[in-house]
Amino acid sequence: MSATKTTAAAIGVHGLHKRFGGLVALDGIELEARAAEVLGIIGVNGAGKTTLMNCICGIYRADRGSVSIGGRDMTGLTPHEIAHAGVGRTFQIPRVFRKMSLIDNLLVPVLDRNQTDRALIERAEAMLEQMRLIELRHNFAEELSGGQQKLLEMARMLMPEPKVVMLDEPFAGVHPTLCRFMIEQIEAIAAGGKTVLLISHDLTSIYRLSHRVAALNQGRVIAEGSVDEIRGNPAVVEAYLGA
Amino acid sequence: MSLKTNAAAPRASERESARRIYFTLAAIIGGVVSVYFVLVPVLKLNLAFHFYLMLWITMASAFNVASGFSGYMPFGYVAFYGVGAFTTAILVQKLHFPVLAALPFSGIAGVTLGLMFAPTLRLSGIYFAIVSLALAGICRLVITNLPEEVTGGSFGLHLGSRAEPVLSFYVMMCVMLLALGTILWLSRSRLGKALRAVRDDAEAADMMGVNVVRVRLYGWLIAAFFPALCGGVEAWYTNVVDTETAFNTLTTAKTVIYAVAGGLGTVTGPIVGAFTMVWLDELIWREFPRINMLILGIATVLLVLFLPRGLIGTLLRRRPQWRRYIP
Repeated sequence: MSATKTTAAAIGVHGLHKRFGGLVALDGIELEARAAEVLGIIGVNGAGKTTLMNCICGIYRADRGSVSIGGRDMTGLTPHEIAHAGVGRTFQIPRVFRKMSLIDNLLVPVLDRNQTDRALIERAEAMLEQMRLIELRHNFAEELSGGQQKLLEMARMLMPEPKVVMLDEPFAGVHPTLCRFMIEQIEAIAAGGKTVLLISHDLTSIYRLSHRVAALNQGRVIAEGSVDEIRGNPAVVEAYLGA
Repeated sequence: MSLKTNAAAPRASERESARRIYFTLAAIIGGVVSVYFVLVPVLKLNLAFHFYLMLWITMASAFNVASGFSGYMPFGYVAFYGVGAFTTAILVQKLHFPVLAALPFSGIAGVTLGLMFAPTLRLSGIYFAIVSLALAGICRLVITNLPEEVTGGSFGLHLGSRAEPVLSFYVMMCVMLLALGTILWLSRSRLGKALRAVRDDAEAADMMGVNVVRVRLYGWLIAAFFPALCGGVEAWYTNVVDTETAFNTLTTAKTVIYAVAGGLGTVTGPIVGAFTMVWLDELIWREFPRINMLILGIATVLLVLFLPRGLIGTLLRRRPQWRRYIP
């Protein structure tokens, strides 16, 4: 994907520290994602990728440092306040509302919207159709396969039309055919002008989708730049291969 | 991204049709049940049995808001019932309130107690259940140790000549219909959806923009209001209140069993569960008075073993397409 011309930082992470007891999960992370940019985050297991995402979402409170979305400081806000600021996300292991129908799952992020139920349901149905889940709309989410749950999460994330979306391992454990479909969806999201933070171990997909990539290791950003720069970066190669 | 589809119109028509069937069914069932209960005193059917049937339907349905909708298991649920019973009794006996004027205060007392217990909502699972049980014990101890001239001590309070079985029966019916109406509304409301999302995954719901603390509190207060009202009406119906019966743990146990038997998380489940189990209880009591509790216990164990989702829960799992019509 070619680099886009952007100006304002859609996501700003400055000096972010997070410890879990004696374990340093994030060690002064500095990162910026520009508006309408796809920023890929790579790193080995335990590098701090998901912790970073959880700190941005407000699930974890950082020990030090700040997070801003669209220039607005989000530090100390609750997850639902951050969601209202226009941040949506998916999870490594899908966290759908298991005993709710697919339609109801999609309505959850827009419950406070000043729109009629009918309008919201129609939008939810259209989203499900786009994700090829429309026939299952009355089923409970727990009745879906793992891959379908990932698609449902993606649709749920998009329902409130967030400005920033964060995808945590969207391709993990997904069938190749479904994986291709998800890549198309992410490309469509990016084409729609949203800022995307994409965490994945699937480097091929990351390199295909990202405008820029940041590599994390032991809670630090060890490299940041274009796909080509990251691909040939010796620090990244060493972190991945232990060479 | 364009989201317009050609299939939108047929789906809208299908939704409208499902909505019509849903409300028609609700109106027919609600109407038939109301007429039946209205006729109980007129036809001189067993008043006590039907009074308690309505009481258990209300209790199980309200418990469903705390458990089925919100995901809590309040083992001390009887606290609301007991406090409601004593509120009506004290207001009527000591402050000479008319009974009908005292009853709303029972509901208010339940909500107030719910607010006092609200900090425990940050707990979950077995921790919440145990703390809830302990708080109910504390409520019972506090009321037992209040001056005898207020709560009647170990003898309890007698409401004197205010017993009006038929009127209290109809008031219980109104409380039941109010509870069922509220829960029916809740099941289709945005608050109900938020509650269910929080029940399924509070952290994910939070990240989807749901104010978890506020939503849980609203659900909890609804769940606290109706048992307190039930306690007040039952105090009026039986004309006597004492801590032993008002805070009896068996009240919570029966409420849980009836709600689970029908299916937590559905509107109709606790109604069907209470209806089935109260009838079964009555039948067993009539036929096997000496071992009725044993047989009822075995029946409950079998039900939970073979239908862990309850009668309605199992039905809706096997027939997902019926979920649109059966709340």
